[in-house]
Amino acid sequence: MPGVVEVDDLLARLLHRIERHAPYAEVMAEETTSHLVRYDRSATVVEPSPGFRGAMFRAWGPKGWTEAGASGLEADSLTTAADSLIQHLGFAGGAPDPPGESSTQRGEASTKTQQPMGEVPVSERVALAQTWFAWATEVKGIRNAYATIQSRTDIRLFLSTAGARTLQTIDRTRGAVAALAIENGKVEYDFTGRGGMGGAEILAEITPERVSRAAHAAVELLQAPSPPVGRMKVLLDPSASGTFAHESFGHGAEADQMLRDRSYLKPLFGKVLGPESLTLVDDGSLPGGWGSIFFDDEGHPSGRTVLVDHGKFIEALHDRETAAALHRRATGNTRRADFLSRPFVRMTNTFVEPGAMHLEEMVREMRDGVILESCTSGIEDPLGGNMQIKVKKGHLVRGGEIGPIRPSMALSGRVLEFLTAIRGVSRKEDFEMSPGYCGKGHTDLLPTGTGGPYLLSEAIVGPA
Amino acid sequence: MTAPFSSAETAFRVADRVRRAPGPWDVYGEAIRRFEIHINGDQVEMTRGPIQLEGYGYRVIAPHNGGVRVGFAGSTDVSTAGVARTIEEATIASRFSSFPAKDVSLPGSLPSSGTVLSADPELWARPEASIERFVSEVLAPFDGRKDVRPSFGSLRVALIDVTFANSSGAKASFQRTSAELEFAVRSTAGPEGPGSGEYWVNQRSCCLDHRAIASQGLEWSRKARDAGSASPTPPGVRQVLLPPEVLSEILPATLGFRLGGQAALRGMMPPKGSAVGGANIDLWDDGLYPYGLASAPWDDEGVLHAKRPLIQSGEFREPIYDVLHGRALSDQSTGGGRRDTATLSPWFHFMIRPNPGPSTMVLGPGDGGSDQEMIEALGEGLWVDQLGYSFPDPVSGAFGGEIRLGYLVKDGKLSTPVRGGTVGGVALAAPGEPSLLRSVSAVGGRPTLVGQLSAPALSVGSLSVAGA
Repeated sequence: MPGVVEVDDLLARLLHRIERHAPYAEVMAEETTSHLVRYDRSATVVEPSPGFRGAMFRAWGPKGWTEAGASGLEADSLTTAADSLIQHLGFAGGAPDPPGESSTQRGEASTKTQQPMGEVPVSERVALAQTWFAWATEVKGIRNAYATIQSRTDIRLFLSTAGARTLQTIDRTRGAVAALAIENGKVEYDFTGRGGMGGAEILAEITPERVSRAAHAAVELLQAPSPPVGRMKVLLDPSASGTFAHESFGHGAEADQMLRDRSYLKPLFGKVLGPESLTLVDDGSLPGGWGSIFFDDEGHPSGRTVLVDHGKFIEALHDRETAAALHRRATGNTRRADFLSRPFVRMTNTFVEPGAMHLEEMVREMRDGVILESCTSGIEDPLGGNMQIKVKKGHLVRGGEIGPIRPSMALSGRVLEFLTAIRGVSRKEDFEMSPGYCGKGHTDLLPTGTGGPYLLSEAIVGPA
Repeated sequence: MTAPFSSAETAFRVADRVRRAPGPWDVYGEAIRRFEIHINGDQVEMTRGPIQLEGYGYRVIAPHNGGVRVGFAGSTDVSTAGVARTIEEATIASRFSSFPAKDVSLPGSLPSSGTVLSADPELWARPEASIERFVSEVLAPFDGRKDVRPSFGSLRVALIDVTFANSSGAKASFQRTSAELEFAVRSTAGPEGPGSGEYWVNQRSCCLDHRAIASQGLEWSRKARDAGSASPTPPGVRQVLLPPEVLSEILPATLGFRLGGQAALRGMMPPKGSAVGGANIDLWDDGLYPYGLASAPWDDEGVLHAKRPLIQSGEFREPIYDVLHGRALSDQSTGGGRRDTATLSPWFHFMIRPNPGPSTMVLGPGDGGSDQEMIEALGEGLWVDQLGYSFPDPVSGAFGGEIRLGYLVKDGKLSTPVRGGTVGGVALAAPGEPSLLRSVSAVGGRPTLVGQLSAPALSVGSLSVAGA
C-alpha cells in the first residue's frame, strides 16, 4: 500500500475535481505506525501496529462543512471517498467562500530525535522494561509492576485548494511504570511516566529514583486512612496544576465553545481573573512536547498562545472559523484525533508558567491543607465553570509540615474562585510536563501535554 | 433483528493468506461505514460520511517453555503485501512475548448466524435518512422554546460487518450497529446567569430509540433548568441514590477488571465464593443481552456467548476469562474475550488484542420498586443524577467525581437541585472494608440499559459527600 507522500499528486488531482463542486476543499492523509512493549510479572506483551492509514476530504458547500473519507491510500479508495463527498455536497453553484481565511502555508517538518526508536531493537525495549520492573519490585511490599514503552510515528499530509501543502512526521515516545502493592485483598499502586516528541532519549528520564518513589508510595497507600473531606487549602503538584490549566481553564478557552456561547470565560475576555503570578500558556511548538505539532490540521503553523498573562485573560485558541468570527488570528490549534475524526479547536501543550515561590515556602504558607499528587484525570465543564481533578495520592499538611499520605482524591469547585484564591506558584525548578490524552467531550482522544510547577490555592476535596 | 451473515469478508481474505501457517492463530476483521451529524444550537454544523474503514487484527500463539508466545498486530492494510507485513510483524513480536498459558486451543466451528439483537435494522438499511430523522427528533422538543435550547451535539453511527476466522476452522460473521449521541441542553433563565444551566448527555447504544427521544428531550430540559438553579451540595456522610446512568460509569470498569482474568493472574481477584457484596446483589455478564453494546453470537475470539453469573446473593461466583487467561488459570474461556475496554475506547476494535472483559453487566432487580418508590423509602438523602465523570480506577476499585447535578431527598421526595462538591468511594473492597457493593440498602425494581450495564437504581448507605 502506498504511503502519504506517494499519493500527493493523486490527492491534488482529486481536490481539483472536488473544487469544481465547492468553493474550497482540503484533504488530510495520514499514515501511522506504533509499537508497544508491556512487561509485568505475569506476561510480556509486544504489540506492533504496522499500518493505520487513510484520508479524509473536507469541503465547504451550501450545507456547511461536509466530510468523506476512507482507510487505505490506494487510488480506488481515495477516488471513491472524493466522489462520495462530491455527491453529498449538493452544490448548485454560487456558494460563498467558507468562513475565515484559508491557510496557504507550505512546508515540511520532521521530529529531530537524539536516538530514533526505530533504531532500538525490540530486545532492548523489553530489556529496558524489565529493568524498570526490577527497580519497582525491589521495594519491599511491591508484588508486581507494569512497565510500558510506547512509540508512535504519525505522518500527516495536508493539501487544500487554497494552495496549502504541509507534510509533517511526528515521533512520540512514552514510558511508564506502575508499581502494585497487594495485601489481604487490598490493591494499591502509584505510577511515574515520561513522554514527549522524540525518541529513546525520553525513556532515559525514567530513573531508579522516580520508580522507587512511586513504589514506596504504593506500599504506603495500603495503610493510608481515608482522604480529607471539605473545603481546604490545596497545593497542586505539576501533574495536577497542568490538568487544571488544561481541563478547568483550557477547554473554556477553546474559541469554538465561545461561538457556541458555551464558555464561562466568554464574558471575561480582557479581565483579570487571577493574581499577577499566574500565567497560562498553550504551546504547540514546545520543543519535545508530547502534544507538540508542526502544523495543525487546517495547515496553520503551530505556536505559543498566552491565554492568561500575569492574571489577565488575554487570548483564546482559534481555528479559521472562530478567528474570523471573533476577529482574531488562527492559533494553530485545529486538530483531528486521526484521519477518521473531525477537526476541532484543541489544545496542544497547556501549562502554568513557573512563578517565584519556593516549595517549602508554599507548604509553610498553606499551613493546613493537602498536597495533591499523581493526577489521574480531569474533566471539563466549559459552560458551568466547575472543575473536577482526580489524583492518585496526596499528603496532609498540618502546621506547615508535610504529614502522612492519603489515597485517591477528587478536587472540585468553581474555577473562577480557585483562580482568585491562588496564593503562589513555585519556581521553574519544579516545572514538569506530563504526557496525556484529551477528548473533546468523551471522544476524539489525542495526545496533549500538561504541566506546570506547584500551585497553591483553595478548593473542595473529597474521596474519588 | 437476528444477526445475519455479513457481506464483508475482511477476516476471511486475511485468513486465506495464513491458512498454512502453524497455529493457533485467529483473525478478527471489521468493515465499517460511519455517518455523523454535528449540530451547533439547532443548526447542522457538519455532516460526515460515508467514512469507510476496513481493518483486521491478526494473532498467533506458539507454545514455548511451558507457556506460550503471543504475537498480535492490527492493520488497515488489506493488500497482499500489507497482510504479509502484518503477519511478519506479529510473528516477530511473538518471539519477544510470553504468557503463562498451557495447551491453548481456539474454538472450532461457529454458527454463521445467531439470534442476537445486535443491529438496528432501519439504521442498517437507510443510515443517512435514519440519522437525519433522529437528529430532527432530538431537536423537536426545543422548537419554539425560550427557556431552554440545544447547545451543541453530535450523532455518530457505525454499521459494522464483523468477520472472524481461526486455525481451528472457525469462520463466521455478524452485523453490529453502534450509535453515540452527545447532546447538551442549555437553560437560558438560570438565576446564576449564563454558564450555569447545562445538561450534557453522552449515550452509547446499539440502536436509535425513536420512541424514547421526545420524552428524553423534555427530561433533559428540566435538568438543564435545574442545573441553572441548583444550590451548592451540602457536605456530610449521607444515604445516596445512584441511578443506572451513574452506575454504568462505575461497575463495568471496576468489576469487569477485578472479577476478570487479568486481575486473577496477578492476585487481585477475590476468591471464588467470597462475599464481595450484600446479600441483595446479583450480577451477571450477558453477551446475548438484546441490543447490548457487545452483544453478539460469540465473543471477540469466537467463544459462544451466554448469560453467566458473576455475583449471586453477594458471593463471587464465576470470573470473566478469555481463552488465554482461562488456560493460564487451569480453566476455560467464559466467553469474555473482548477487544475494547469498559472505559474510553475507540469505535473500531480490530486494532486491539483480546483481553478478558465484560459484555453487558446485568444487575438483578430487587424489591425496591420504581425510582419514585426508592425515593419515598429513602426519606432523607441525595439523588446523584450526574457526575462530571467518575473515571473509576479498575485496580483499586475507587470511583468518584464532581456532582454535576443532584437532588436532595426530603420527606421522601426530590427537592432542591444541587451541584458541586464530590461523592465517591470504593466499588469492590478488601474483606472487612466498606464498599459500594457492601453498602447497598435497597435495589430498585426497574432496570434500564445504559451503555454496558443494565441496572435499576441503588440506594447506598453512608457515602461521603464533600460539599461546598
